[in-house]
Amino acid sequence: MITFDSHSTDPYYNLAFEEFVFTRFREEDVFLLWRNTPCMVVGSYQNICREVRAARLWRMGIPVLRRISGGGAVYHDLGNVNYSCITRQEGGVDYGRSLAPILEALNGIGVPARKNRASDIAIGEKKISGSAQRSAGGRLLHHGTLLFDAGLEALEEISVRGKNDCVRTKGTQSAICPVTNIRPHLAEDMTVEEFQRRLLDRMVPDAGNRRELTAEEAGEVRRLRDGKYRSWEWTWGRTPAFVYEKSGSFAGMPFRAAYSARQGIVAEAAIDCPAVDGALAARLLNGARLCPEGFAEICGRLAGERGQELLELLL
Amino acid sequence: MEKQLAMPRLRPEMTSGVLCAWLKEEGDTVEAGEPLYEVETDKVVNQIEATASGVLKKQLWEEGDQVAPGDPVAILETE
Repeated sequence: MITFDSHSTDPYYNLAFEEFVFTRFREEDVFLLWRNTPCMVVGSYQNICREVRAARLWRMGIPVLRRISGGGAVYHDLGNVNYSCITRQEGGVDYGRSLAPILEALNGIGVPARKNRASDIAIGEKKISGSAQRSAGGRLLHHGTLLFDAGLEALEEISVRGKNDCVRTKGTQSAICPVTNIRPHLAEDMTVEEFQRRLLDRMVPDAGNRRELTAEEAGEVRRLRDGKYRSWEWTWGRTPAFVYEKSGSFAGMPFRAAYSARQGIVAEAAIDCPAVDGALAARLLNGARLCPEGFAEICGRLAGERGQELLELLL
Repeated sequence: MEKQLAMPRLRPEMTSGVLCAWLKEEGDTVEAGEPLYEVETDKVVNQIEATASGVLKKQLWEEGDQVAPGDPVAILETE
């Protein structure tokens, strides 16, 4: 098992880094540990508009990214440690086999963890880790989160109470489970950096197996970051087709909005509210790209100072 | 000649998977071994490679459809 250090907490860079290592180093088993600044990461085939309140996250400055594995939406911050295990694909889907080494390492450093449900790790009945996989070209990427000292209130607020029930769509649904952090369950306290170091010492004990990307390879990671993970096409354009319907009140008046979106492009938009110019709304929204920035601009034109309020009714 | 490509069984108990992305469009040339589509099952996205070479004549399912193992997924026009 070899490892690479991403030297970054930028979520866009780290997702690109992981994909680059997955597709480039095909002869060896690779283990990665990495942490991200606050962000929401959705599965490869998830509907962002259902999984998160995109407008609210945008206001909070929390970016939404799409990863290359399956499964549900997860909240990351610097108290959450992500791990990736890249190996040859052998046989069919088997989370037990992928989780065994990480469980052994966790137990070895004093974390009283056990496998729970199909692909989770728990302490007691509470989840500390979820995982997902991607299989391509005979290689398997198994990766997961490890809630060490994460902001569970933010996690709860964003990923549990933050679902959007106005969306009818296909696509993978996230499961919602009670969670806990690892840190309060340790017999002997340690920092997140120490936790990461001790986990790495278990998984990749030989210092000779700790590698660095070359400058050229890091350049390729940055190109992948900019060309894919920062692109609208990957993050929003891949959202499965859906229909959005919302009713409520806006500027103290009854409000109803509906639109559909296919490959991230809005159609059939209608806003019915005395405080909004419906004809202009339809003209601006139809053909627009689904994303908070674009929607915010449209809402600014439609509602001026109340733009953000309108935005949170539409996305 | 037309050749049908079928959904592989990705694990013994698999009853269906979601065809979540086409990686080739109808009319595209496909080489055997090249990635053709992606299927999600049990939180795994599996990239499925074409098992023959030819021109992709028909995508038999839309993205988001549930497909059972053994079901035909695509029709290739082969030499």
